[in-house]
Amino acid sequence: MTVSVLVADDSKFARRQLLRTLPEGWDADVRHAKDGQEALDGFRERQPDLLFLDLTMPDVDGFQVLETLSQEFEHYNVIVISADVQPKAVERATELGALAFIKKPVDGEELTNVLGQHGFL
Amino acid sequence: MTVEPLTEDQSDALQELANIAMGRAGKSLSTLLDSFVILSVPRVTVVDVGDVADTVARMANAPEIGTAVRQAFFPTVRGEAITIFGPEGCREIADLMGHEGELGDSQEQELLLDTANILVGAVLNGLGEQMETEFKYTPPSILAVRTPLQQLLNAENLDWTCALLIEVNFSLDERGFTCHMLTLMPENSLDYIRRTLDEMLEDL
Repeated sequence: MTVSVLVADDSKFARRQLLRTLPEGWDADVRHAKDGQEALDGFRERQPDLLFLDLTMPDVDGFQVLETLSQEFEHYNVIVISADVQPKAVERATELGALAFIKKPVDGEELTNVLGQHGFL
Repeated sequence: MTVEPLTEDQSDALQELANIAMGRAGKSLSTLLDSFVILSVPRVTVVDVGDVADTVARMANAPEIGTAVRQAFFPTVRGEAITIFGPEGCREIADLMGHEGELGDSQEQELLLDTANILVGAVLNGLGEQMETEFKYTPPSILAVRTPLQQLLNAENLDWTCALLIEVNFSLDERGFTCHMLTLMPENSLDYIRRTLDEMLEDL
């Protein structure tokens, strides 16, 4: 079954790096959001199975996206992909309901393991 | 001389490399101060040296400088790293690190030099690792205390015509602490960076 995926990152380079790291042959329909607001709009519109979310973004950042999702939706699957690797950032993201936290630059094996652990493969 | 700007793709890629490097520096700062550090999106631009001060003033949104620390880096990619602390920067760091009472001027400067050194090392090592170049550094030194930004970044002090400017900043939750780190690199270092970015973009 095709997994609907939204990738939210203000950097096109980062989004392309992530796409290149996705497991080969994974059946996913991937859309892009280039900031936090687009991530929220895209999520409300399609309610994707999975959101890859960057934290450091202009205007609406990843923490605010998570906070809004937690108010509006009962279920949301978010994997944070971030360069902000402070233990407190991981803690905050987890408290706000993120399933997992992957540090940038993304390691393909780690990403595949996390996707497998949460039943997306 | 007209400066050739980075292409949109180059600038976007470099911004992401800076973001990753800043993230590592943020983690070091967060450990040092045992506080959550707020990171914002790094900014990358190629500017004419005459416009550096104005551009930085606009980016930093803070014309008032507490203390500025300078550190030069080299050899393949060379340039200047300038770390600018707000007027309350030292007091905040001292508090968080558990120093009690008044610090003397030399102790204050020591604290800021150490902090700047940690940040610059983390940001540049992070960038260097991703761009496959190693940096060496001069020891940090105090560039200015309570000096207007315009004076600090006077073009006459730099013998370059244009510069690649990368700005990252750190602030602390629930405190007035802010710290801007600028790296300025001259045009000949820019060539190396452009080539490296193009290779990374081709690999995507």
